[in-house]
Amino acid sequence: MTPRSMPHLLDANARAHPDAVAAREKTLGIWRTFTWGECLRRTRALALGLRSIGVGPGDVVALLGQNRPAWVFGEIAAHACGALSLGVYRDSLTEEVGFLIEFCGARVVIVEDEEQVDKLLELGERTASVAHIVYDDPRGMWKHTGEGADPRLVPLARIEAFGEQALRDDPGAWERLLGAVDPGAVAILCTTSGTTSNPKPAMLRSAAFLGHAQAMLEVDPRTPDDEYVSVLPLPWIGEQVALGSWLLARFRFNFCEEAETTAADMREIGPTALLWPPRAWEAAAADVKARMMDATWIKRALYGWGLALGYRALERGGRSALADLIVGRALRDRLGFSRIASATTGGAPLGPEVFRFFRAIGVPLRQVYGQTELCGVYVMHRPGGAIDFASVGRPLDYVELRIENPDRTGLGEIVVRHPGMFAGFYRNDEATRADLRDGWMHTGDAGILRDDGELVVVDRVRDLAQLAGGDAFSPQFVENKLKFSPYVGECVALGQGREFVTALVCIRFSIVAKWAEKNRLAFTTYSDLSARDEVAALLRREVEAVNAQLPENQRVRRFFLLYKELDPDDGELTRTRKVRRGTVNERYASLIDALYEGRPVVDVDTTITLADGRRSRIVTRLKLQTPADPAGAPHAPREEARA
Amino acid sequence: MNPQANAAAPLLDVTDVSLVFKGVSALQGVSFQVRAGELFSIIGPNGAGKTSLLNCVSGRYQPSAGSVDFDGRRISGRSPAIRAQLGIARTFQNLALFAHMSVIDNVKVGRHHLMKKGFLAGGLYWLGGARDEEYAHHAAVEEVIDFLEIQHIRNRTAGTLPYGLRKRVELARAVAARPRLLLLDEPMAGMNLEEKEDMARYINDLSREWAMTIVMIEHDMGVVMDMSDRVMVLNFGQKIAEGAPAAVAAHPQVRSAYLGSGE
Repeated sequence: MTPRSMPHLLDANARAHPDAVAAREKTLGIWRTFTWGECLRRTRALALGLRSIGVGPGDVVALLGQNRPAWVFGEIAAHACGALSLGVYRDSLTEEVGFLIEFCGARVVIVEDEEQVDKLLELGERTASVAHIVYDDPRGMWKHTGEGADPRLVPLARIEAFGEQALRDDPGAWERLLGAVDPGAVAILCTTSGTTSNPKPAMLRSAAFLGHAQAMLEVDPRTPDDEYVSVLPLPWIGEQVALGSWLLARFRFNFCEEAETTAADMREIGPTALLWPPRAWEAAAADVKARMMDATWIKRALYGWGLALGYRALERGGRSALADLIVGRALRDRLGFSRIASATTGGAPLGPEVFRFFRAIGVPLRQVYGQTELCGVYVMHRPGGAIDFASVGRPLDYVELRIENPDRTGLGEIVVRHPGMFAGFYRNDEATRADLRDGWMHTGDAGILRDDGELVVVDRVRDLAQLAGGDAFSPQFVENKLKFSPYVGECVALGQGREFVTALVCIRFSIVAKWAEKNRLAFTTYSDLSARDEVAALLRREVEAVNAQLPENQRVRRFFLLYKELDPDDGELTRTRKVRRGTVNERYASLIDALYEGRPVVDVDTTITLADGRRSRIVTRLKLQTPADPAGAPHAPREEARA
Repeated sequence: MNPQANAAAPLLDVTDVSLVFKGVSALQGVSFQVRAGELFSIIGPNGAGKTSLLNCVSGRYQPSAGSVDFDGRRISGRSPAIRAQLGIARTFQNLALFAHMSVIDNVKVGRHHLMKKGFLAGGLYWLGGARDEEYAHHAAVEEVIDFLEIQHIRNRTAGTLPYGLRKRVELARAVAARPRLLLLDEPMAGMNLEEKEDMARYINDLSREWAMTIVMIEHDMGVVMDMSDRVMVLNFGQKIAEGAPAAVAAHPQVRSAYLGSGE
């Protein structure tokens, strides 16, 4: 058992299997392969090149861009220099990039293209620590050449050329560099999603990190014949661990051409393993449903029949060959899941309905659970056989997990330690002390460890809300129920300290727009569509259906349809699309008051920032929606269904 | 100013061109020169003769009088196909894509005149070298697709695409020919702000990075003044001004004819 560091593993793989395919990238319409030998050559050149421009132990090398081979080579090269790699999310706002670069004092930033270069240059003084900005794609860089250009800009190819020259001058340079890498040192800075504040970089040590990836592989093994498609951002811990497993198990890492081509590229590769956050699974399921709404009646009938068969077989704990023939195989092919052997979801809870849907069509979807601080996933449904949708599975064998301060039902904070966990937060001892006490990580998640060893995660401890009557409830649980409706895009359940539960609901624009088209309902914008009475009636019916499944005290009594989508750019969601409750409570305080006062209409006049940076004024009128009680005795007159 | 634009030899030399349609005079003695590497814009009110002038360069119209020289060769009187072979490509104000063909096939059409293998060699696909030629052209087309960022729609049917993307595909087809002179007829007409910004970036990159000489008709004054090396103004078939964007914008006749004499 000797996984020491990522550069060590790469070096060993390239020596043992120089001509085996390690990775592919789709460029100019063709999947181009990288052998292990080539990966090593590129990484080695980059590492020696970085060394020659002064990168050494303890320095921070930030990486910013789309998932590309150069990103991976850059990370491993940084580790080879003894430096720390820091992945920065590519769609981060300039402000967030600035915070991370400044906070970590990054010495070199490796960026993908001109777009990211612009972002860095815009930061001015805040990037004072950065000595070199290394860019991969020279496209559009003519703006930054010639007189007055930032002298820190240097093409990646030149750094690699430096490295190749260094290797020619001194053939033993790489071995010496590798020999000096300390497996016990911190190599990866992995940012937490920062639901409440600025992201905190968790420090992960090489050997511990790889040891954890190894432990995961023992439960969910991979072979060199496995295909992986790198879809989620590389700065994310899940993708980082995937990288570690890649080096350990030598499967093939595939990089998509562009973000927009992901679905088509995935279908071409047909990955055998996939870890997606719930959001992506939900979107895929919703997409299938939306497409079926457009299909001919024959197809719809077949789909309904096949799915029903699949569900029935699932309840008996098996699979239906007929269902597979009718819908399963075709759907899996469409989605690019034909060869999938390990499908997992993590990062947030996924509704059981979505689980059932994918399992019914033959995708063996399993729940996993973890945190950045604990090196990603450490609790998972075991592969094979039936799973319990209510739980997130069992912890890995080497993980110690206990519930702190459990209440009478066994509900309490999940507290964990294992050898692969983080070494604390980078330059933030206060945060480290708050979360890491006596070597145990306090996850802040509320859960129950059942007698059968399965963990049930309920919510964040601080997000458990208490109604005025003293009943505890989990807003997220209610939200997940609501979000399974194809018409609901995002929602926030409210009720802390109040008499009853209410909600702010955002329509799922793509699907409600399609519905409106079908029902000959004219509309212009998102705000306009969500203000339509017909849409309100539709959503009311959806909420009523959800209410029927909820305990009486957790039913949504009133709601507003919000005039805009919740957006990470407005700080209302995190980058991984979790609701930031504080921000929402603050920003929509007047709406929330209106919900509880029962004001029938609220006039809104506000300005929002659009995705392209322009600002737009919204003037609209929100109407209070009161779903009928499932037990009868309607609160509001029910409108006629038009769908 | 693009450093590659050199004053020495004009790539395009239009001298005294007039165009008459059944007694209606569309152009009257218009002359201008475009240097290699330049981004040259033609502006003017509707009906001023901008597109007619572009058509005289591309060969769609033959001027009634005057001459058009390209790279030192007289091209007025030659067919559009010959002009294409010499390295002139264009886009149209109203889209002219093959609606039922895929995007990639549409772009490949732009390279048709560069293909050497004929019917027979095509029939002997593997033997006659047609396959290698096909590969080479395919690679060139993919480079353009990458440059204009239309990878995600390369296999879609052109006619099903939204307008802004179809405009981009048309540009891709013109660029695929790797022309020495690119004629753009209102590349941004009918686009929203975001699409315009993208298109402006592509045109700028084509000019600066691929060093393409570009003659562009455009109505959006902001775009024209930002991007162009030089601007020419037409009004009622006559040239009323030519020069650097700032100078042209300040020209009194231009202000009254085109920009409005409000101030």
